[in-house]
Amino acid sequence: MSAHAVAVGLGAVAGQRAFPFLTALVLTPVGAALVALVLPRRAVWAIRAVGVAGALAVLGIAAAVLDEFRAGFGGYQMVSVHPWVGSLGISWSLGIDGISLFLVLLSALLFLLALAGAGERTNVKSFTIWILLLEAACLGSFCSLDVLLFFLFFETTLVPVYFIIVGWGHEKRNHAAMKFFIYTFTGSAMMLVGIVALVSIHAGQTGVTTFDIRQLVQTHLSGTAGVLLLLAFTAAFAVKAPIFPFHTWSPDAYREAPVAGSVLMAGVTAKLGTYGIVRFDLGLFPHATVVLAPVFLTLGVAGIVYGAIVAAVQKDLKRLVAYSSLAHIGFIVIGAFALTGESVSGAVLQMVNHGLITAALFLLVAMIYRRRQTMNVAHLGGLQRRAPVMAATFAVVVLASIGVPGLNGFVGEFLILAGTFLTHRWWAVVAVAGVVLAAVYLLWAYQQIFHGPERESERDKPFRDLTWREGAVLAPLIVLIVAMGVYPRPVLDRITPSVDQLITHVEQVAHPNIPRVGQPEPTTHTEVAK
Amino acid sequence: MGSLDSYLPIFVLLVLGVLFAALSIGVSRLLGPRRPHAAKGAPYECGIVPTNELPRRFPVRFYLIAMIFVIFDIEIIFLFPWAVIYDQLGRFGLVEVIVFAGAVFVSFIYLVADGALDWGPARRARSFGSEPGRTTESAVRRVGAAGGRAE
Amino acid sequence: MTPFAALAPAGLAIPHIDYTALLPELILLGGVLVLIGVSAMTPRRLPTGVYATMTVAIAAAALVASLRLWRDVQNHGAFTTVAHSVDVDGFAVYFLVLVSCILIVAAIIGSGYLRREGIAGCEYYALALISGSGAMLMASANDLIFIFLALEVLSIPLYVMAGFDRRRPTSQEAAIKYFVLGAFSSAVFVYGIALVYGATGSTNLPEIGAFLAHNVITANGVLLAGIALLIVGFSFKVAAVPFHMWTPDVYQGAPTPVTGFMAALAKAGGFAAFLRVFVATFPTLRGDWQPVIWALAALTLVGGAIVALAQRDVKRMLAYSSINHAGFVLIGLQAVTTKGVAASAYYLFAYAFMVLGSFAVVGVVGAKGDRRHDLEAYRGLAARNPVLATVFSVLLLAQAGVPFTTGFFAKFYVIAASVGAHSYALAVVAMASAAIAVFFYLRVVLLMYSTQPADPGDEATTPGPAGGGVATLVRIPVGRLVVQPSIALGLAVSVGVTVVFGVWPQPLIDFTRAATFIFH
Repeated sequence: MSAHAVAVGLGAVAGQRAFPFLTALVLTPVGAALVALVLPRRAVWAIRAVGVAGALAVLGIAAAVLDEFRAGFGGYQMVSVHPWVGSLGISWSLGIDGISLFLVLLSALLFLLALAGAGERTNVKSFTIWILLLEAACLGSFCSLDVLLFFLFFETTLVPVYFIIVGWGHEKRNHAAMKFFIYTFTGSAMMLVGIVALVSIHAGQTGVTTFDIRQLVQTHLSGTAGVLLLLAFTAAFAVKAPIFPFHTWSPDAYREAPVAGSVLMAGVTAKLGTYGIVRFDLGLFPHATVVLAPVFLTLGVAGIVYGAIVAAVQKDLKRLVAYSSLAHIGFIVIGAFALTGESVSGAVLQMVNHGLITAALFLLVAMIYRRRQTMNVAHLGGLQRRAPVMAATFAVVVLASIGVPGLNGFVGEFLILAGTFLTHRWWAVVAVAGVVLAAVYLLWAYQQIFHGPERESERDKPFRDLTWREGAVLAPLIVLIVAMGVYPRPVLDRITPSVDQLITHVEQVAHPNIPRVGQPEPTTHTEVAK
Repeated sequence: MGSLDSYLPIFVLLVLGVLFAALSIGVSRLLGPRRPHAAKGAPYECGIVPTNELPRRFPVRFYLIAMIFVIFDIEIIFLFPWAVIYDQLGRFGLVEVIVFAGAVFVSFIYLVADGALDWGPARRARSFGSEPGRTTESAVRRVGAAGGRAE
Repeated sequence: MTPFAALAPAGLAIPHIDYTALLPELILLGGVLVLIGVSAMTPRRLPTGVYATMTVAIAAAALVASLRLWRDVQNHGAFTTVAHSVDVDGFAVYFLVLVSCILIVAAIIGSGYLRREGIAGCEYYALALISGSGAMLMASANDLIFIFLALEVLSIPLYVMAGFDRRRPTSQEAAIKYFVLGAFSSAVFVYGIALVYGATGSTNLPEIGAFLAHNVITANGVLLAGIALLIVGFSFKVAAVPFHMWTPDVYQGAPTPVTGFMAALAKAGGFAAFLRVFVATFPTLRGDWQPVIWALAALTLVGGAIVALAQRDVKRMLAYSSINHAGFVLIGLQAVTTKGVAASAYYLFAYAFMVLGSFAVVGVVGAKGDRRHDLEAYRGLAARNPVLATVFSVLLLAQAGVPFTTGFFAKFYVIAASVGAHSYALAVVAMASAAIAVFFYLRVVLLMYSTQPADPGDEATTPGPAGGGVATLVRIPVGRLVVQPSIALGLAVSVGVTVVFGVWPQPLIDFTRAATFIFH
């Protein structure tokens, strides 16, 4: 198998053998996990070091990928194809484009923070191994160009998350973990049938059994088949993201998971769902997407409003963040299904933004919890005087989440709403109301925690401000929140070409009669040495 | 449905069999004298009134012997047709029968070693399981006690 | 002699017998004779490990013979022998290999269990080998009569093995139940053979196939009735709903390693013949029987998964899960394609190792006496035996179909076959049942990793051995379980196969793709 190993750097001359960045990206955490596995259970320090080193190495490789990435080019880059299960048409094919690039970077960063900053004290060995395996699965999902390989990684993420919730979660962890696993497994079970059906239709048309998305996009689907397949795929993504009304597992799971679990679930694995929508729903079933767009737009808007309203009545901080997350995912969904260049770019950008913001929020909530052993808003108050730095940090994150200009949340939401307004005006109008609601509940929560009088019972207890270690964990997130709010240009430059190419493909397939000029090649051809 | 014609004799035989059985029972019912009496229904007509059911006890060995007999009987049944057409089968038949007899013989040695043909209290070469102190006598005593017999 | 000589047919044609083609079966049966001969000739009873080692050697020899046969078939093509009643094709030899592997693992796992329970003797191994030879013959049988004989050779030792632990009433109950229902299903099966013979004039599968291909039977009531009875007979053997009623009781009652062996072997043998009879012989009548298999598969998938949810006893739960798995294998049969056959064959391979390993773990947790099978016995297992808990988690998740295990590719393969045959609805039903099944697999995993004790004493009460007819309760302290080295070895093999072929499935998939029938 390895004899056929070939990595084709598309950015460079076709056929030139380049360093297989993406394979390294996926396999580095697995390697680190294996090293951690052979270390003795007692060597906590060494295990932590291996975990952090592994995550750091991944971040390094991800940075190299960013460096290597050619901006302004919409196709897949750094493609590497190895036959894996050749007789079934499954291959280890990885590639990256503007849509997945920043999700990979986001994952690399959040996993490092989870290992370095949100590590658990008990059973460090298992914890480190599960996080590293989850990292490999997430990165693998984002980089897969083979639909089945994507599915394998996508499905594999369940196991580490399940064990992280069960092993290190809060009181109702068993219930939450079970609910999480069954919901997501059911969704992806439908997707598996969809994948197989799609490949079988493609094989019937071309005689080639392949799971390569670059070839599958050319499948001709009848209206009904397309709609059914889209629904099968979206079953998995809607649960994973989660889209209203398939979200009921998520508040429980986010609430009961340990902080690293919440951060990674909301920050990274939820993005697998929204990423899947953009990559597979839009890419593979353009016609059906156009047909069903109003349905999903409605669900997205419903999610925004519902999430905001429910968040407003939450006493529990973690549940509040979970429901606010649902509302934000709603924005990403309407961005994706509005099917304009701006809105989809905004959706992709917002995935990254949401990852950063939610991660920061969950980390901050965990820091408060560590000090006060409560996540109940009603039991907190007046903490600003005790912990001004923490309050300031919290304020920045909350403002970013609301979408205040100058912070990253604004850029994404603005692009989404602007793009959506062009094609689906009324949905955009209702979604704007969601922004207002977000301001209500987030600011209200901030006010409750940090302003007003301290609770009588809490007055004598100490409350430390951020420690250096906590500051170091939050710093990269805050820096990125501000930087991407002030100067999103470099990010958008890399996202937009891929999104434009995708939108062109969608319009071409969905409305084939409208002639277009000067469109780029929908897919790039790769030479694969056998 | 011509293929079903060949089943006709079987069907006829079946009908005849049912008819014969029905006829036998029916005729004896009709013609036989019936004078029911309580004493006739009792297990012992000599006058002892049974008080309770006795446990039915006999050594399980009887079954073993019977089964072993059946096995060797079947060996003979196999040998018979072989002997009848020995000429046609030739060396092939001889070898096959020797293999067959050998297999049965090994089984026989196994049975003997296992004590299947021993009669009397346990002197088995290898007991099944490892319950210390469990012998044939103890088993008999327990069965007796469970049967509810007054000591 | 002379009076009988007239009875002999003139000029008896002795069929040509290719002994090398039958070598794996002959090795197993010869091995049985050696085993019982050795056990009879040794005055002191030998430790069970000696018999286990001999059994592994015998099964390994059969494996080598099977692999040689595989090479011959791949190089020189398939052939038949013993007057066309034994097929030596890729499909048959695939199952010869599989059965040899099952025997090796079952012997290794069984020896640890037998040592713990203090059951001496060669009987377990001898019966396993006989049953294995039956399964092999089932896979290669090319004649309905031969299939029936093989079925009995496969089943009868299994009845005995189910009742192997004579001291446990549940074991005896299992044996009786299995025997009675098995005999009943065999009778149904024979009746089916008779009707098929009556309708087609042959019991030889290729001849039946040729007859059906060249003749249009206008009133085929007898033939269809025969096929229906064959379906019923096979369904009993492979435990398809609604013919599964014996499965939970037998799986629960039988000694645990026997349950694993039974599940792996009977399914492999039963499905091998099921696939050959229906896909290779009756494809022309598929319009009549395919919907029946469709319904059976759907019922089996959903029924197995749903009823398993309600089980508190882990052995019963795994019994229903095995019913669910049977449904997946039926999907491959329902497709009636080469791909479907390959998918079913792959599923049986993956399933064999998963189920052998799972029941080995259950046997360990059952502790001495093999009684602790309630879900509560698994609570906190990860804290006491972390490796054992990990192994069981891997096996259960593999059964659920989690990626990078053989279980995933097995499910994927049958779904692909089903979609390829345009049975989309069945594929959806199958995946829905898989999603249901996740619940009860995870429940065990959850308990193992749970740190909340059920009761403060952390002790389990189980009924002790009956003394004087009165059952007494003994308290078994819950501590670290002893995993016999041989069981550890067996588990390592099971998990190894499950994970290695899950990450690198290419060789096994190529193996199944080459495991094709000869179509006459």
